[in-house]
Amino acid sequence: MANRSEREERRFTIRMQKKLVVLFGIVLLAFVGLSLRLIYINRDNGEQYKKQVLEQQEYTSKTLVARRGDIFDSNGNPLAVSEKIYNLIIDSKVINDKEAYYEPTMAALDKYFDIDMNAVRKWVKENPKSAYYVAAKGLTYNEVEGYLNFMNDETASKNVKGIWFEDNYKRNYPNGTLACDIIGFTNAENNGTYGLEEYYDDVLNGTPGREYGYLDEDENLERTTKPAVDGYSLVTTIDATIQSIVERNLKSFNDTYANRAREGLGANNLGCIIMDVNNGDVLAMASYPNFDLNNPKDLSMYYSQEAIDAFTDEEFYEKLNGLWKNFCISETYEPGSTMKPFTVACGLESGKLTGNESYTCTGAYEVADKRIKCHNYKYGGCGTVNVKQAVEQSCNVALMQMSLTIGKDIFLQYQQSYNFGLKTNIDLAGEARTNAVVYNSSNMRPAELATSSFGQGFNVSMIQMITGFCSLINGGYYYEPHMVKKIVSGSGATIQNIEPRVLRKTISTSTSNTIIDYCNGVVTEGTGKAARPAGYRIGGKTGTAETLPRGNNEYVVSFMGYAPADNPKIAIYVVIDRVNDWVQDNVKLACTLTRDILTETLPYMGIYMTEPISEKEQQELAAKQLEITLAYTAPPEETTETPAEGENTEGTPAEGATGDAAAADPNGGLNLQWKNFPVDPATGYLKDPESGDLIDPDTGQNMSRSDFTAVDG
Amino acid sequence: MAESFSRRKKKTEYYFDYSLVFIIIFLVGFGLIMLYSSSSYMASQKYNDAAYWLKRQGIWSALGIGVMLVLSFIPYHFWERFSTIAYFVSMALIPCVLFFPKRNGARRWIFIGPNDRFSLQPAEIAKLCLILFLASFITRLGPAIRSRKGFWTVILMALPHTAMIYFITDNLSSAIIIMGITAVMLFVASPEYKRFIILAAGVLAAGALVVLIVTRFSDKLGFRGARILAWLDPEAYASDTGFQTLQGLYAIGSGGIWGKGLGQSIQKLGYIPEAQNDMIFSIICEELGLFGAIAILLMFVLLVWRLVVIANNATDMFGALFVVGVLGHVAIQVILNVAVVTNTVPNTGISLPFISYGGSAILFQMAEIGVCLNVARSIELKDA
Repeated sequence: MANRSEREERRFTIRMQKKLVVLFGIVLLAFVGLSLRLIYINRDNGEQYKKQVLEQQEYTSKTLVARRGDIFDSNGNPLAVSEKIYNLIIDSKVINDKEAYYEPTMAALDKYFDIDMNAVRKWVKENPKSAYYVAAKGLTYNEVEGYLNFMNDETASKNVKGIWFEDNYKRNYPNGTLACDIIGFTNAENNGTYGLEEYYDDVLNGTPGREYGYLDEDENLERTTKPAVDGYSLVTTIDATIQSIVERNLKSFNDTYANRAREGLGANNLGCIIMDVNNGDVLAMASYPNFDLNNPKDLSMYYSQEAIDAFTDEEFYEKLNGLWKNFCISETYEPGSTMKPFTVACGLESGKLTGNESYTCTGAYEVADKRIKCHNYKYGGCGTVNVKQAVEQSCNVALMQMSLTIGKDIFLQYQQSYNFGLKTNIDLAGEARTNAVVYNSSNMRPAELATSSFGQGFNVSMIQMITGFCSLINGGYYYEPHMVKKIVSGSGATIQNIEPRVLRKTISTSTSNTIIDYCNGVVTEGTGKAARPAGYRIGGKTGTAETLPRGNNEYVVSFMGYAPADNPKIAIYVVIDRVNDWVQDNVKLACTLTRDILTETLPYMGIYMTEPISEKEQQELAAKQLEITLAYTAPPEETTETPAEGENTEGTPAEGATGDAAAADPNGGLNLQWKNFPVDPATGYLKDPESGDLIDPDTGQNMSRSDFTAVDG
Repeated sequence: MAESFSRRKKKTEYYFDYSLVFIIIFLVGFGLIMLYSSSSYMASQKYNDAAYWLKRQGIWSALGIGVMLVLSFIPYHFWERFSTIAYFVSMALIPCVLFFPKRNGARRWIFIGPNDRFSLQPAEIAKLCLILFLASFITRLGPAIRSRKGFWTVILMALPHTAMIYFITDNLSSAIIIMGITAVMLFVASPEYKRFIILAAGVLAAGALVVLIVTRFSDKLGFRGARILAWLDPEAYASDTGFQTLQGLYAIGSGGIWGKGLGQSIQKLGYIPEAQNDMIFSIICEELGLFGAIAILLMFVLLVWRLVVIANNATDMFGALFVVGVLGHVAIQVILNVAVVTNTVPNTGISLPFISYGGSAILFQMAEIGVCLNVARSIELKDA
């Protein structure tokens, strides 16, 4: 037994085995307890902790803003730029790390920044462990430069710690109101609103980076950075010079007619588009009223402060939205007689018309028991007209008869081909949908067909009209209109070239030539004589459309033309929506506005004069030149063309206005002085036989080396 | 037990505990996956190499598995004769840390190799050596263990290590573990219950007293005092001492039942400092949810169960007590680690065996398991 007992002692006894099982039970109990604890944590605090995790995610990690890409005009002039700004951050933890840091740091802050030092001192004292205090926001480089230079001196700034900068960007529009409808603006979150800013928002906005802050084992805040990728820039088809010419003329038109027949603007809307006929590039697109892109919520240009204060929020934003909307693409209206070339082209192209027809107009025509009047109903109609004369005289009766000959189906088929009722897909935000405001085969009856032939009864947008019109005069190629020709990276490398896109062929080249012939006749013989700028031949078509409801004597007048007459390069479309005058159906207003714009634009574009200039025209041009000069040399608040002003003051007004963008295009000088016009009708100037420079025949000024530079600066 | 009777075997056939090997390999493999998941972000930030910690732990784990398998073939009685030497050598190693530089603000390591590439914690060696020593010592005590004198002698034997680890290396958690292992081995060896209940009550009372004192005299008691305060109300100390605990709780609470999915933890992105170390269990909870966490706890329960089976079938008391010591070591570390992560006890740095990052720790734990495997091998399979 003793032996057995001794062996038991050396062996693991039954008692020990039992105790081991008890121990296992205790361990098991502990595990069960901990499992329950896990379950309780999830049940009681799960939701709260989930939120907490996401909340602190934002707290300790920070988004690094990407630089939003710039927007340039076609010559590389900036239209919208992102400027770097700095937020001044104070890291209290670092400052309080050593006693010796505190005073030098405070002294440096006081010296180099315009901030409330009492607040900073108080904050640093009260939050010794905090690492993030925004002491100043939106500092420019100039404002931080002094400090940065000081920090470069390592001995002087040895004890200055815990100051750093957070980069940010501010959108700046150097030209203020220029091209506001096209560009659009950005909100505080860097999201584009309207125009290119909205349409190309994804391209312009880069990929934001991220900075993670975390606490290491010694509870120091460590930072790691994933840098931001900057956005791409846009090179638009817009020419800032042409754009500013257009906008200045629209404004001056507005100023002439403002408060004339009623209180308010010179017209409900003014719009103008200039387009390159042969590729769909929009060279200028403007509407009035406009707004300041740097301050888009400012209504003070149009309303008194009292009036603004009296607006309810709803009214306030309604007015703003009205301003921000791009009339040229977002609004629809009845085009009126500018539709006639489309109708005629349709008839000729489809073979329903030969061009040799003639029509008799007695002032009105009866379609489906309705008497539809011609525009000169009062004077007994247009008499007998052939097709060309019908366009020149804008005879509704002739056009109605043509449309009935063409028939509804073919007419609608061509409407579709001209893109009426469809979007043009121009690369701007907010293009109007027009599918509901045009006729289709189920709701077009003879009367609707007849009125459609001269542009009443259905709605279009300006961009639709001019894009379609370009196809009528360029040989039938319908180009998709576009605003951006190139997307470039921040370093200037081309990311994407946007090539002209022909969508379809609307008419044949020979029909196109016929339409050009007819439209040239409108300006030489017909309703559009007033649109011709001195020294040039252009073609086009006038339009006068009565708005709804009919009989209110409210009209939209327009001129749609092109230049030069024989080989169209640019197309222009000017729309005056309900001019502020007692008589609104005065198409001459649109014609003269067109003429004013073309008078400045064509020389700038290097399109030569081909026609002799009469004495009267010379005087007008001289007067106009003075007017333009005054516009350029006027005080800053007057204009958007700020960059060149300083240089203008040197020359006399007369000299100052004689050149334009000469450096960019030696032939494109804005030459308006030709008192003793030389024999050479092709160029309009004398040519220096030695240098080839253009010399003003009157003043002897060298046109190519003018000291005046326009908006190109 | 069941296995030992179930099969008809000759006396010469021995038992190899494949289940235990499987459990260990599973835990180590799972540990490597979780280690990679929890550390890759910070590793790529810090060292530009997402697998920085994974590689190091992988090398140690492979080494550990090799050591485990080798030890499983070395008869464990071979070690018994070194028990006294091991006791004194491990004791002597502890002050050696004073000759090596601090790391993370504490002197706990002995560095060897070029550029201090390998670090060794004497505390880890002490745990293994003390298990070995106590198993042999208690066996030699024989029936004397039943007396009060025997009881206190055993405790006295563990005191030098405990005290040195606490006072020299300032490592409370290792001191607790060593005392805990001693208590567990003593509990199994001694027939007493009453004394242990009194002891446990005493420890709890002392703990309560410490907490009471700390709350009264608040932060005059150094970082341990601060940790106790943070334990009581982690949210009040969210920016400093309570930070780690609170972030761990956020991780656990935000995981839900099924977790965010492997690799989907947010808290590992710098919020939980050194997530691959002591707080790795909170990342397991966040990514794999309650399901994954409890599954891992079950694996540890299985591991403990296998050790219970081996101890109860061991051929002699030395082997059985050694296995009990290892069992105590594993169980105490797992329980304390999970208790710390769930803020059940105040924060003290205890790693999760086989899963947390820590080269020397995993090597010694695997060595312990290797010896246990050999104890299992010596189990004679009796005829049915």
